[in-house]
Amino acid sequence: MAEPEAVVYVIDDDASMRASIESLLRSVGHTVVTFDSTQSFLEFSRPEGPACVVLDVRMPGASGLELQRELAAAGSAIPIIFVTGHGDIAMSVAAMKAGALEFLTKPFRDQDLLDAVHRGLEEDRRRSRRDLHLDALRERYALLTSRERQVMRMAAAGLLNKQIAAELALSEVTVKVHRANAMQKMQARSLPDLVRMSDSLGAHIQES
Amino acid sequence: MSRLDGITPNRSDLVHAGGAGNERSATTGLRSDDQDLLNSSPPSTTQKKIALAMVVVMTIVVVAATPAARYVLSGTEALLPGYAAARLLVELMTAALLIAHFAAHPSPAILTLANGYLFSALLVVPWALTFPGVLEAFGLGPTDQSTAYVAAIRRIGFPLFILAYLARRSAPQLPSGTAASRILTSVLATAAAAAALSWGVIINDDQLPPLMLNERRIAAAWNIVPSVSIVLYVIALSLLWRRRTCSLDLWLAIVLGTLLAEIVLLSYISGGIRLSVGWWTGRAFGLLSASIVLVALLVESMSLYSRLARSVAAERRVRESRLSAMEAMSATVAHEVTQPVASMVTNANAALRWLDKPRPEIGEAEGALRRIVDDGHRAGEVISNIRTLFRKDARDRGPLDIRQLIEDVLSRSRREAEAARVLLRADVAPCDVVVIGNPVQLSQAISNLVANAIDATRSVAEREVVVRCDTIVPEGLTVSVEDTGPGIASDLRKRIFEPFFTTRPDGMGMGLMFSRAVVESHGGRLWVDDVVPRGAAFRFTLPVLGGIESEGRATRNG
Repeated sequence: MAEPEAVVYVIDDDASMRASIESLLRSVGHTVVTFDSTQSFLEFSRPEGPACVVLDVRMPGASGLELQRELAAAGSAIPIIFVTGHGDIAMSVAAMKAGALEFLTKPFRDQDLLDAVHRGLEEDRRRSRRDLHLDALRERYALLTSRERQVMRMAAAGLLNKQIAAELALSEVTVKVHRANAMQKMQARSLPDLVRMSDSLGAHIQES
Repeated sequence: MSRLDGITPNRSDLVHAGGAGNERSATTGLRSDDQDLLNSSPPSTTQKKIALAMVVVMTIVVVAATPAARYVLSGTEALLPGYAAARLLVELMTAALLIAHFAAHPSPAILTLANGYLFSALLVVPWALTFPGVLEAFGLGPTDQSTAYVAAIRRIGFPLFILAYLARRSAPQLPSGTAASRILTSVLATAAAAAALSWGVIINDDQLPPLMLNERRIAAAWNIVPSVSIVLYVIALSLLWRRRTCSLDLWLAIVLGTLLAEIVLLSYISGGIRLSVGWWTGRAFGLLSASIVLVALLVESMSLYSRLARSVAAERRVRESRLSAMEAMSATVAHEVTQPVASMVTNANAALRWLDKPRPEIGEAEGALRRIVDDGHRAGEVISNIRTLFRKDARDRGPLDIRQLIEDVLSRSRREAEAARVLLRADVAPCDVVVIGNPVQLSQAISNLVANAIDATRSVAEREVVVRCDTIVPEGLTVSVEDTGPGIASDLRKRIFEPFFTTRPDGMGMGLMFSRAVVESHGGRLWVDDVVPRGAAFRFTLPVLGGIESEGRATRNG
């Protein structure tokens, strides 16, 4: 699967710290973009593709923890790795609770940061794949007629053709046709496949 | 600009403790030395009122008891052992407390007084044992005269001890090392004297000139005793009155007053008839007089104890707050040094990785190494700055141009201000006064205030920070950092200078404390004002070389 390039965003107000993290990450082959404030990061239009953020907690302007809140509020699930000059327990607990991937205390071991970045990108990659897959399913689901959707929902719930026919006051043959159409449009190879798709779509199905 | 808003004196002690090493606050809550002790503090108004009330009450009692004074309460001998025991205990306890007092503050006068009480207490024992009708069962033989003689010795002995106490008042305080041996010697001597006198009286009972006609009635010879003791009481009283310099003297005067009332009741009003109403009233006065000093000593030790507890608590608070100031400082140090060190470690790791590649990238490794060199210099600078702050003799203080200093700070803070979209500007009056100070410390202090001000404007739309500098008579130079933020709530005014206090969720709360330590170590002061229509202004003063007033040109329009 040809994916867009993974990017690591480094946000630190300390120029030397920023350069050092950038250099370290580039030395193992990552693509790095650096920012000197959370504000400039928010203004940057990020390209598609897996990414993660290496963020200094304590900075002038909006702090690292505030950025974390803002990203969460905007619905962004980008993994965040915090680095801090002072291992404040209360702060690290707050960050981890809010979903931070890792909380590293300066000076940190390079391998710890690299591992965390690797995990972050991996997680984001999985998430974006999941998102891509879901988008495709939704597109396919949109092609179904409302009758086909009804039949698909009932079949996924484990009802037999006969039961569906009785429920919808249709003949069993008509149900079979709708079901075959739904399977074909959803590109499901088998009934279990259809059930999995139905699960993935989850709330989306209920709405329609 | 007359007063320090929101700055309490104890906070300024604290900052001194953290910054310039001022030790003044160590004694906060402790009054100096022994000025509150019974024998060294002058009597208070309340004490004088109590003493006066006692005199009035005693006079009333004496007058009231007079009509029925000679009525004999037969069979009340049974009460005598109880009375004697009470008197013995009270006087022994008084002696013990006075001795303890002496052990702490070896004043010879106090030891004399203690021995007076001890002498009086010890003589209660033979007095009670020989009292007719009390312990006949022991068959102590004819002791009719002994009781009276023992009473006479007690009666005349006690005022003599008081006179000795007064005579030794001016004697210098003894070195404390000798206190124990002095206590032992004097107590033994007093006990030996009391024992010898009692013994001598009891074995010579029948050969002594009779003081008593029978068990209840006195002989003519007895009349010498009350008159001699009254003379002694009056002399001691007048001396005490003349030299009533401490509350102990006041209480001793009352003691002598009650003793005087006692002897008058015993010998004259009751007509010398034992166990009569007047006689028992006199005895009650005797017990009262014995208790007065005891009560005074107990009250004193209790109030001293509670004061001690309070001052220990106050001292602990001071120590704790100083400790947290130290912690704040060490946290600052840790943070300032950690930053370049962390950067060095990461740069070094990056360099190693660039060199470790199958085709080493020398250029990248070189860049990382150069950054390490810069970081090393930066760390060294930070450490030397911190050392400057902690050094008492700020050796590298010198005349400096405060305007240039402010410009430098602003140019360094510019990037931060732009990131926060704050308009940062200086409004520095042209002045040519000279400030003596440490440029690193002062610029750090101003830079902290500017950083706080930029931070404060975060929640408002109109973001502006102005750094002003003008000269004001007679404070010296004033530097103000004003912001357009929401201002400082009055309940936070005091707390913002505390270590670790911060309004930011991720702040460390040390900047202000640091700035204030620097300003105060330069002889200035730092406070916060409101800005109209809104915002806060942190202002600090700095003394100017030669003073403003002597420097004619250094005026506002200079």
